[in-house]
Amino acid sequence: MSNKKITIEFNDQIVRQFLIASVVWGAVGMLVGVLIAAQLNYWQLNFGTSWLTWSHLRPLHTNAVIFALVGNMMFAGIYYSLQRLVKARLASNFLSQLHFWGWQLIIVSAAASLPFGFTRGKEYAELIWPINIAVVLIWVVFSVNFFWTIKKRREPSLYVAIWFYIATIVTVAILYIVNHLSIPTSITHSYPLFGGVQDALVQWWYGHNAVAFFLTTPILGIMYYFVPKAAERPVYSYKLSVVHFWSLVFLYIWAGPHHLLNTALPSWLQTLGTTFSLMLWAPSWGGMLNGLLTLRGAWHKLRTDPVLKFFAAAVTFYGMATFEGPLLAIRSVNALAHYTDWIIGHVHVGTLGWNGFMAAGMTYWLIPKLWDKPLYSKSLANLHFWTGLVGILLYVAAMWTSGITQGLMLNATSDNGTVLAYPNFLDTLNTIRPLMLMRVIGGGLYLVGWFMMGYNFWKTVKGANQVNGTIEVFEEATLEDSSTYKSPIALIFSTPVLFSVIGSLFACVWMFGKDFLSIVGLIGLVLIVVLAFAHFESKGKKWEDWYNKLLVTSLPFTVLTVLAVIAGGLIQIIPTVVMHNAQSAEDRKQTPYTPLELQGRDIYVREGCYLCHSQMIRTLVPDVLRYGDYSRLGESIYDHPYQWGSKRNGPDLARVGGKYPNIWHLRHMEDPRATSAGSNMPTFKWLLENELNNSTLNRKIEVQRTLGVPYPNWTAEEIKKLVQTQANGIASDLNAAGGIIQSDREIIALIAYLQQLGKAKITFTQSLAPQINP
Amino acid sequence: MTPTPPNPEEDGEIREHSYDGIQEYNKRLPNWWLFTLYGTIVFWIGYWSYFEWFHIGLNGPQAVQQAMAQIEVQKLASSPEINDKNLWKMSRTPQFVLAGKATFEANCVACHLVSLRGKSENPLAIGPDLTHTKWIHGGHPTELYNTVTNGVLIKGMPTWGPVLGAKKITEAVAYILSKHTEGEPIEVVQNLPESQTK
Repeated sequence: MSNKKITIEFNDQIVRQFLIASVVWGAVGMLVGVLIAAQLNYWQLNFGTSWLTWSHLRPLHTNAVIFALVGNMMFAGIYYSLQRLVKARLASNFLSQLHFWGWQLIIVSAAASLPFGFTRGKEYAELIWPINIAVVLIWVVFSVNFFWTIKKRREPSLYVAIWFYIATIVTVAILYIVNHLSIPTSITHSYPLFGGVQDALVQWWYGHNAVAFFLTTPILGIMYYFVPKAAERPVYSYKLSVVHFWSLVFLYIWAGPHHLLNTALPSWLQTLGTTFSLMLWAPSWGGMLNGLLTLRGAWHKLRTDPVLKFFAAAVTFYGMATFEGPLLAIRSVNALAHYTDWIIGHVHVGTLGWNGFMAAGMTYWLIPKLWDKPLYSKSLANLHFWTGLVGILLYVAAMWTSGITQGLMLNATSDNGTVLAYPNFLDTLNTIRPLMLMRVIGGGLYLVGWFMMGYNFWKTVKGANQVNGTIEVFEEATLEDSSTYKSPIALIFSTPVLFSVIGSLFACVWMFGKDFLSIVGLIGLVLIVVLAFAHFESKGKKWEDWYNKLLVTSLPFTVLTVLAVIAGGLIQIIPTVVMHNAQSAEDRKQTPYTPLELQGRDIYVREGCYLCHSQMIRTLVPDVLRYGDYSRLGESIYDHPYQWGSKRNGPDLARVGGKYPNIWHLRHMEDPRATSAGSNMPTFKWLLENELNNSTLNRKIEVQRTLGVPYPNWTAEEIKKLVQTQANGIASDLNAAGGIIQSDREIIALIAYLQQLGKAKITFTQSLAPQINP
Repeated sequence: MTPTPPNPEEDGEIREHSYDGIQEYNKRLPNWWLFTLYGTIVFWIGYWSYFEWFHIGLNGPQAVQQAMAQIEVQKLASSPEINDKNLWKMSRTPQFVLAGKATFEANCVACHLVSLRGKSENPLAIGPDLTHTKWIHGGHPTELYNTVTNGVLIKGMPTWGPVLGAKKITEAVAYILSKHTEGEPIEVVQNLPESQTK
């Protein structure tokens, strides 16, 4: 068999496209970020429009920077490194182009829908259902292109970067699909399948792991390729790569509930969230160590090379963010920090520091290679670095100070701890206004740095030749040498895997078993760990051989990755879905909304109220003193989607119903400062003008019934009458109080919804007595 | 700083395989890193046992119910004696009136306005006039105190008791009373008469 050498050309065109898209969308996403940051101090900056209002733009900002900036950057980095690491051209030009243009179309449709109130009302999962389907399809295109290329590889063994890419592809697919399961009520609206606590858990299983598997693992893969390339140094430790990869993908999934600490989420889930977040600290730092220590021997290059400067700073910020994360997952720290700017600061250490700087470093490294021309200005790139760095530091310092200040003020009490020291929420808001302004300056500087990169990019590539990398390979790939490895099945059922699975099973028996079973589980767990260590000590070489074999077979590797990531999700979500449904909700149960209230709730979701107002009074004294009795799990069990919220730019609304008269709400929506002096809430005047659209209401109620909400079998006529009666009642009450408004305006429905929050007739499903007297 | 060449003695073996020119050392895991990992695993076992196995630690609802019960006891023990005489006395004591003014302006002016004249000053205001001798829910000092503490939800008066506490409410009532004189006629009406809103 003749096997002559041939030269193949990599598909670098697709890399160029994704790289440009990443820089352009990044600028757009961050510009929106700076605008909404400024709006928190100057509410007038929505210029009286609904579509430039904070709560409409915030989803645009988050979706743009996550899916447009990091998404495009990730695809550029993956496609560039994958081809070189497996010595093969991307499998399909058509799929690559479909991937690129499909993804850009999704971004454009997001920008054309989110500002206009088309949203699912779940953070980072706001896009409406037709776009969700497009995302899934394009992700499938990406996966096929990726795995097909792997199939065609000429390099048998998979490098660590590819492990992280595989974990990304399979996990994002699982997370995205489960959290977007919905039933449509129209072409632009749907209700999520899960409700209340189930929806909260699924949302943060997704939300937390979007951070893990969209913003972390692909970027770690990119780090493992580009950092050693740029530093021209070997990776610090292969052993560390193995251990931190598997511990990271296994542990990350379990930590989602730390977003719901001190809420109505069942205690066992909160405890899992805290402990697994802490266990995640070392695996995360494993990535940081391997990145930073790869730079050993290349530190002197940092002085001159902007690429390495960006990488070194990015990895350091990754380390800071992954230390801060477990810290914030401790219940008492979380009691102070949750719902405040501290969390915003934490997120931006990761996004501006880790994601943004990795993107910048990678871009500066790739430009000269993809266009065969030195960078237009190295000193401008250095200036970008320092401007960006100062921007991040200002941003983060402002948010830490602001978050801790507001948290302390909100939690402060006087008179021997019996009353709040600052009963007016606005006192705490107006204290942090200077810090919020400092954040705008920090974010603005970072954006200026980004524009410098855009300019540098433009000046370099204008008129430059696009070049594609090439490599000499043997024509016939000599990959499928079956004698070098066992069958895929035998590879999966190997000693290390069996130890891991049995160990995990014992751990679950210990945690979830009762009495005797618990003890058996704990003893079993300890025994398995000891046995595994002993086995590794004596047969370590065999483990290493096994792993080397695993690396040359992509299928068993992918199967094991899926097993590692789904374990945590299954163990948390299945019991929650089975146990915490309406029939067995803790001590009290919500009554379904009236048709008008349901309409009002959909307006609440559409306007993005949940982005500034939580509906979750935590099991903490300051929360109870400020907002009333703590929220019970059953009180939101019929909420599709749940509206517990994640940030309090304004006060909690879980029990706002009946607290103020209807006229207060009317005046407040028309001009928040008329009732709450010093408020930074934008005006929502259009709610007083828009006519309530009831055209899909019957379908909405039908879908709610399908989802398990116990609505009676109303006829269309009955629904119409219920809406009219309730709306007329509210309108006449408003008129009597001097608020002249027609009963068919959207504001009437919103007031109906707000006035029943926490007031719904509560069905006690069991006596409260045993809980009060333990 | 001078570049340090790779030192095979110190850095140990380099893995045979290279990927697109990228090589890997096979260095052992740092001890402190391993201890961090093991430490957090041990913590997991201890923390879970404490809260979820032996239930020694209180969960959220248990802890907050216990704390709120203690606060109730504390409030009862330290509540000031509320009667008409004391409240009138406080309304003539600048310390109380000034403290009450601050509380009033932080919490009450949205509806009753800074002037306390509410609807009398501006028909669009939500709250009634508090300077007049005609009252909707009673004008005796203790009645005022109860109205503020318990609220009148149907009329839109929030329940301030749990938010402000007895001390701040007493002061706010003293501030309102400072606009009145003891012994003035008190009339209870259904709605404040139209003439008043002029």
